[in-house]
Amino acid sequence: MAVIALKGVKKSFGNVSIIGDVNLEIADGEFVIFVGPSGSGKSTLLRLVAGLEDCTGGQIFIDGNDVTNLGPAERELSMVFQSYALYPTKTVRGNMSFGLEVAKLPKAEINRRVDAAAAVLKLEPYMERKPKALSGGQRQRVAIGRAIVREPVAFLFDEPLSNLDAALRVEMRIEIAKLHQRLDATMIYVTHDQVEAMTLADKIVVLDRGDIQQVGSPMELYDHPANLFVAQFIGSPKMNVMAAKPSSGGLAVADTGGTIPLPAAAPAGVVNVGARPEEISIVPEGEGHIRGTVDVVERLGSDTFAYVSVGGIENLTVRIVGNAASIAVGQKIGLKFTPERLHLFGADGKTIR
Amino acid sequence: MAIVGKSSQSPGFQRNRLLMTAVLVVYFIYTFIPILYVITAASKTNPDLFSTFGLWFSNDFKLWDNLHELFTIQNGIFLQWLWNTFYYAVISAVGAAIFSTLAGYAFAKYEFVGKKFVFALVLGAVMIPQTALVIPIFLLLSKVGLLNTPFAVILPSLVFPPGVFLMRAYIDEAISNEIIDAGRVDGAGEFHIFSSLAFRMLMPGFTTVLILAFVASWNNYFLPLVVLNSTEHFPVTVGLANWYASATAGSGGNLLYTTVMAGALVSILPVIIAFLIMQRFWQGGLQAGGVKA
Repeated sequence: MAVIALKGVKKSFGNVSIIGDVNLEIADGEFVIFVGPSGSGKSTLLRLVAGLEDCTGGQIFIDGNDVTNLGPAERELSMVFQSYALYPTKTVRGNMSFGLEVAKLPKAEINRRVDAAAAVLKLEPYMERKPKALSGGQRQRVAIGRAIVREPVAFLFDEPLSNLDAALRVEMRIEIAKLHQRLDATMIYVTHDQVEAMTLADKIVVLDRGDIQQVGSPMELYDHPANLFVAQFIGSPKMNVMAAKPSSGGLAVADTGGTIPLPAAAPAGVVNVGARPEEISIVPEGEGHIRGTVDVVERLGSDTFAYVSVGGIENLTVRIVGNAASIAVGQKIGLKFTPERLHLFGADGKTIR
Repeated sequence: MAIVGKSSQSPGFQRNRLLMTAVLVVYFIYTFIPILYVITAASKTNPDLFSTFGLWFSNDFKLWDNLHELFTIQNGIFLQWLWNTFYYAVISAVGAAIFSTLAGYAFAKYEFVGKKFVFALVLGAVMIPQTALVIPIFLLLSKVGLLNTPFAVILPSLVFPPGVFLMRAYIDEAISNEIIDAGRVDGAGEFHIFSSLAFRMLMPGFTTVLILAFVASWNNYFLPLVVLNSTEHFPVTVGLANWYASATAGSGGNLLYTTVMAGALVSILPVIIAFLIMQRFWQGGLQAGGVKA
């Protein structure tokens, strides 16, 4: 049974529609991530679930109850904000107890919950400090602690790692993953970072301009994107997309004079073909499906990225594992594709195969 | 050719600096001279007041005598006036600051029908001079039967449009919407959020409005003049003006000049002390740590 269900949820501000018709079900204990570029409506959708905004249309159900007209606290949800939103005039303990004091829980119960959360988040040495005396990561943990003590039906996270530096972000990401395992709680998480989405989620909801593009597990979205948008949003570096037409023998890639053979005839209506950087190999010129010139080489130690220009196409990205010492700038090479791993897109952007 | 900018080392900058300092010194002297006069005049006898150089003390230093005169004349009415001024100012200041903060918070953090119009009204009210309002206020108070009571001075002073304007701007900056949202998610009602979360973060702004309203009330002359007519309700401003009028009236009058000057000196001291005490509340940065900038 779905713990949280959205039916036909819409949101507009005046005449501007922010969220189109959204239907979604979230199961108990699931880690769901709303992901999308800026302006896609993911934060707005989260705030609708939280009850901080009213829906213009549709209904929201939590545990089978229609909560569409209830405020945030009545929905039994907790939220962790991007800017932490800690109460600056209260201590860490005060921040974590505030919601429970409002709910008039007995003092002993409040202390028990706060101490338990502090232990989980390793905040015990800081309980009497005010937020300004804490580091970014500590403040983040206090914000999470404030959410935990409410023992909510679900946790909502609004881009909680955006304000942290890269190293701390990785550390906190792992903390959140462990928290999810330990608490076995339902979590809805918003981010624009598809790496966070891929690594943390049980289920990813990709949003673009207020509409859901695709819902599925990370690997489903990676291997079988439903349209061009999802294909290019998920996966880093981005999937290479080239204009192509069906031709005898496979797919003729525009501007390159090359053809990629396909195991079966290409369906009519194919307008673009996509290949992920790791599914293309660099071979000597003449041995590949198309030929090009290496423009830029990025060496990360663990991987090498070669940016290749082919005919009229700039910046095809190719990934090679390890340090590909033999690749140099200006080198003329051939590119070989893996036909079974290609993604074919029609004129409407939807995946054909 | 590379573009060269100006820095604090350039001669032009130093020249401007000196010019600015000179202007400020002149302004300081202009502001300070009347205060210097009050100090020196309060220490002279009446004949000396009119015969010696205004900006320095005479040979006869009579400050303590004048002060004694000030507090004993007419059965110590000055002390009554001082007390009146004080409690009118404190109650008006606290009330004005609270109302301004409530109104400023509403304008800053909520959307409601007619908000722009109501705020335009407040802005308009800031621009209306007090003298234009005193007669209507007099008539209002007269109808309600509150003339010649402390309420006649305090009630109109609770309305402080500049305070609303200031607090709205301050609250807009000082309190992030996410903290309010966090309070809502925690289950607090709107007023609870205001009183236990937001209010403490507003102290610098609140104190500023408190001081401004206190000084405005302390210095208020025209309103009490119009709405009060018994001497026991007078604030110091009206009382001293009364003495001055009787000192200059027709034949001889009372020689109260030095007493008036001593009264003026005493009346400015509490405001200066209040400013100095409140200084530590002027420090901002109360929101540091709550929200990541």
